[in-house]
Amino acid sequence: YVYSRPPPWSDTLPTIFVITPTYTRPVQKAELTRLANTFLHVQNLHWVVVEDSPRRTNLVSNLLEKAGLNFTHLNVETPKSLKLGLSWIPSHTPRGTLQRNLGLHWLRDSFSNAAPPEGVVYFADDDNTYSLELFEEMRYTKRVSVWPVAFVGGLRYESPKVSPAGKVVGWKTVFDPNRPFAIDMAGFAISIKLILEKPHASFKLEGVKGGYQETSLLKDLVTMDGLEPKAANCTKVLVWHTRTERPTLVNEGKRGFTDPRVEV
Amino acid sequence: NEELWAQSVLEMPKRRDILAIVLIVLPWTLLITVWHQSTIAPLLAVHKDDGGDSQRDLAAGLDSKEYCLSDRDIVEVVRTEYVYTRPPPWSDTLPTIHVVTPTYSRPVQKAELTRLANTLLHVPNLHWILVEDSQRRTPLITRLLRDTGLNYTHLNVETPRNYKLRGDMRDPRIPRGTMQRNLALRWLRETFNKNNSQPGIVYFADDDNTYSLELFEEMRSTRKVSVWPVAFVGGLRYESPRVNAAGKVYGWKTVFDPHRPFAIDMAGFAVNLRLILQRSQAYFKLRGVKGGYQESSLLRELVTLSDLEPKAANCTKILVWHTRTEKPVLVNEGKKGFTDPNVEI
Repeated sequence: YVYSRPPPWSDTLPTIFVITPTYTRPVQKAELTRLANTFLHVQNLHWVVVEDSPRRTNLVSNLLEKAGLNFTHLNVETPKSLKLGLSWIPSHTPRGTLQRNLGLHWLRDSFSNAAPPEGVVYFADDDNTYSLELFEEMRYTKRVSVWPVAFVGGLRYESPKVSPAGKVVGWKTVFDPNRPFAIDMAGFAISIKLILEKPHASFKLEGVKGGYQETSLLKDLVTMDGLEPKAANCTKVLVWHTRTERPTLVNEGKRGFTDPRVEV
Repeated sequence: NEELWAQSVLEMPKRRDILAIVLIVLPWTLLITVWHQSTIAPLLAVHKDDGGDSQRDLAAGLDSKEYCLSDRDIVEVVRTEYVYTRPPPWSDTLPTIHVVTPTYSRPVQKAELTRLANTLLHVPNLHWILVEDSQRRTPLITRLLRDTGLNYTHLNVETPRNYKLRGDMRDPRIPRGTMQRNLALRWLRETFNKNNSQPGIVYFADDDNTYSLELFEEMRSTRKVSVWPVAFVGGLRYESPRVNAAGKVYGWKTVFDPHRPFAIDMAGFAVNLRLILQRSQAYFKLRGVKGGYQESSLLRELVTLSDLEPKAANCTKILVWHTRTEKPVLVNEGKKGFTDPNVEI
């Protein structure tokens, strides 16, 4: 018996396509490593990693090859003008948008609406924390499923409001609960079928108010009463919006102390 | 007569030819047919590449794969089954890695332990010793440990209040996690007999760092104390032991106090269990430890510089990162709390 990592592919389980935008910075390799360590437990997972870069980097290419996961490696660079993050202008391009849209584009290119594969799309940022249970909750999504997310909106967690009948009727948030979809990127998954059915649904690039990015996509896909609540009717937290501190590199000095050829 | 003879001469080679053709073509046909089967091709690749990274190709289910060793017409068939269990099955031959993790309650605790557990769940023969800084073992940790399926021991010891706060200049805080790590060392000494030859390695893994799977395999062969580089410590991309051409550690590549006896981070070394049991009085010093000297306070009682075993390709690869997690903003909870406190995060 040989221990297999990831688990063997199954012909009957729906595939989970995880779209992760990523960008070069010191902690990138660490984030992707521990993310991969989580994904390596999930059956029928296909990781779509989209770099914010002009070319696919060796660091990410090598990491993906070594990990053993089923993956697709894409890249698209956010133009400098959009990256400038002119935060005094109320609308800007949130980070990762172009990359997530490219991931959706790849899916629509790779699969036909005539014979859509069984599966879901999930947007997983590279610094969040995901329980293994989350992936089994989202696997059988029919249209769009939703669940609570920890550490967003200045709260311990934000969550959909679910009626006794099991329908989503609102949003338990402090920040702008009247948004059409007051939910974090990590709080929903969309069936492949729906993505292929609505080929023009994408994240809006410009003129998006803070907190409305998710809405810009979901409004073209589903209405609130069509949402499927997961995680015990949205009473359990299975994903945490963690953020990693920027490491202090002050002792590198002007010319650098460590060997730049050693990959961190 | 000549004609008849000529005819029969022409005919006989034909039959012989046909027989020859059949005997030559048939094995090749069989070989080509077998070659086309996807089950064989990756295995042939295995033979070429030494099998290291063929796992992905072969993870095509629990099909049994067969390959043929032909050796003077003897054919052996070996079935390889690919199984996935979480954690991997225990092995009688691998040394156990005892991972000591101090932890304390705060909002991100469950998230940190969840993603750490997801990493540890890939490592065979791993025993997780989780030590809470608390008066009692908490239900959150109890449930989490049970639900992971990992081999674990759940301990707790509360760092006394006055040690946690700053204030007394003569007696600065005990570095966080010290009492918890020491409790784990004591537990190991009470649980394992130094004459009992259960091979084991002890590694101190804080709950917010990031560990590659490769790291655990590097430390498994530790004879006394092994060392390797750690990213994001000492204000650098990484700190690393200095290793000479003979493969011996002779110093430390750090900017901060490189003359410490062991200028290394907690995540940068592992100790053979035997050594822990032999030197039963070796603990992390609780008080009067200068910043950055905690690791030295233990290691100097265990080993000398020249005894250190460099891992990670003679300390040229980074296999562990000293990541830190931001404190989440909970301002919208307000005074009375907005979210349901019964919902565990």
